Amino acid sequence: MKKNLGILGLFLVVFIATAFANPDFVNAYNLENLIRRASLYGIIGIGVSLVIITSGIDLSIGSMIGLVGTMLPYLLIEHGASLFTGLLAVVALSASIGLIHGLLITRLKLQPFVVTLCGLLIYRGCARWMTGDSVQGFKGNYDSLRYLAIGKIPLGTLPGIGEFNLPVPFLLMTGLAIVAAIFLNKTIYGRYLLALGRNEQAARYSGINTDRMVVLAYVLCSLVAGFGGILFALDSNSIQPDNFGSFYELYAIAAAVLGGCSLRGGQGSIFGVVIGAAILPLLRNSINLLGMPTTLEFAIIGVVILAGVIVDEVVKRMAAKRRAALAAKQASGS
Amino acid sequence: MKNLSLFAFLAAVSLTFYGCTNSSDPGSTGGAGGGGESTISADAPKVAYVTNGIASFWDIAEKGAMDGGKEFDANVIVKMPANGVEDQKRMCQDLLAQGIKGIAISPIDPDNQGDLLDEISSHTNLITQDSDAPASKRLCYIGMDNYTAGRMCGKLVKEAMPEGGSVIILVGRLAQENAKLRRQGTIDEILGRSEDRTRYDDPNDGEIKGEKYTILDTRTDGFDFGKCKDNAQDAIAKYEDLGCMVGLFAYNPPLILEAVREAGKVGKIKIVSFDEDERSLEAIQKGEMYGTTVQDPYNYGYKSVEILAALARGDKSVIPEGGVINIPARNIRKDNVDEFWTELKRLTAKEAPGCC
Repeated sequence: MKKNLGILGLFLVVFIATAFANPDFVNAYNLENLIRRASLYGIIGIGVSLVIITSGIDLSIGSMIGLVGTMLPYLLIEHGASLFTGLLAVVALSASIGLIHGLLITRLKLQPFVVTLCGLLIYRGCARWMTGDSVQGFKGNYDSLRYLAIGKIPLGTLPGIGEFNLPVPFLLMTGLAIVAAIFLNKTIYGRYLLALGRNEQAARYSGINTDRMVVLAYVLCSLVAGFGGILFALDSNSIQPDNFGSFYELYAIAAAVLGGCSLRGGQGSIFGVVIGAAILPLLRNSINLLGMPTTLEFAIIGVVILAGVIVDEVVKRMAAKRRAALAAKQASGS
Repeated sequence: MKNLSLFAFLAAVSLTFYGCTNSSDPGSTGGAGGGGESTISADAPKVAYVTNGIASFWDIAEKGAMDGGKEFDANVIVKMPANGVEDQKRMCQDLLAQGIKGIAISPIDPDNQGDLLDEISSHTNLITQDSDAPASKRLCYIGMDNYTAGRMCGKLVKEAMPEGGSVIILVGRLAQENAKLRRQGTIDEILGRSEDRTRYDDPNDGEIKGEKYTILDTRTDGFDFGKCKDNAQDAIAKYEDLGCMVGLFAYNPPLILEAVREAGKVGKIKIVSFDEDERSLEAIQKGEMYGTTVQDPYNYGYKSVEILAALARGDKSVIPEGGVINIPARNIRKDNVDEFWTELKRLTAKEAPGCC
């Protein structure tokens, strides 16, 4: 938790500043939207953090979301597949993609960067080819399935906010985050992932089957990305194969890194990733509600995140210095 | 290995960038595209119709071009560049290499494609369609006037909200000339201003207040569908008394409708659309959207082939004085949407789901 104070502070500063500048920011409708968007990004952030922890990377997430998001309505609406078949197909596809990534990285010793970068191109191309580049959507059907992405659970009237409904994706993200946190911190396999990310050779010499763990990380990452793809598609209901999910891999990786995952591996916290994932939609929402020009959006997001990371780093260094000074004092006193 | 990684990275960034920025016609959604070819006879002149992207809008134009080929005895090649300016250039150069007898092109970036347009005009007959390049040596332009179409869209806003109110405009990107003109025409009509194609209200300048109507803002999404819906939701959250939302690119209105439905404000917030996305037409039938301003892509294709076929046979009389063939836009409302959709289906020979 202490490690995530910086990103949590950034989140709170932006949140409170926007709330003061525009009271509409904290109305129930806006908060519901914000929570739903942050939850969707949180889900894909959690997935990629499992890979980043092993010192790997997955650049194919955006295209995976594009492929899965395109394929589901394509199967259900264009080909009249049953819901079970459609979901099974996209889940199996997601798992298979993760398995292929993992095997290419562990057996052929290819770099994760190259493997998933090629995946980025291949899956985008497949989505476009499969649909002939035509826009996909659920066309007024599958409302009960769409509930997973756009559904809300009434919580009654909250003080200062009004009639509040909790978006269903928040529950899905919370459930996934709890499972991921338990897996990472309380199970032997989670500890293996952290260990191999810190020093793969040492982990292997201590008897861990590191190849199997790397494959597991990529399978889990792709499965979660596929799940995210389904939810993004259900939310948007208008999926253009050539750009749906574009750049989402960068958002997911940014969420994981902002949340405390080291790109060198061996380090990461699911809570941090969830907060990191909320930063981007929060900033976008703030920019809209404060009426800032959309042309400045990327610049504002970049500056705010950079400033937050710099402050976080400075605070960490000061704390480390203080700890070192304290330790030296104690050593000289003893 | 390092070099390979660098190459792969650069390739991916380029492809992703192009995929994001040049993927669709500004006034249309994606469609089952990619282009096609029809051969009428070996002796018939071969002409080409080049779009600015892959989109359902262009599928309709392709049908018009193919029908034009049959009517005016021309072999027609339709090319739909998926990856922007470079793709369009490559396709045109390949067509020139085949000895094509004429090209009708929708230039993606006319201001910066002068070299390509000069190259085409020096080899064959060049006409522009959908989007003009008046500074080039094109023989004529076939399409609508985006400023006038914008004013027509503004009329729909005033009809939807005759007592006045606030309006927000959502659009994919404002860098393109046709988007700027469309937006300006819409604003000028809503605010009751005189016609002036050179006027430009900077979207960064904030609200534009008129006597009865206020233009609250213009938000862009860079063709990101998710962000378009986010923008619509944020506008609903920010402006409690929001009266009307206008979507200027074809994919905008269906996503606006999603946001309005989820907010439970159908009917309270009026929606005015641009182009003929099936979901927009369906919403107009149901009364969830007020209306839409539509172009006539079928005739863009048909007329282009008619002109190119005549030029290939040496008949220059088909070029009008002034070099512009205007294919006017139309306003579609609940009272004429069925008729329009039936006609659209007939032209494209495609079933429209949900249509009665």
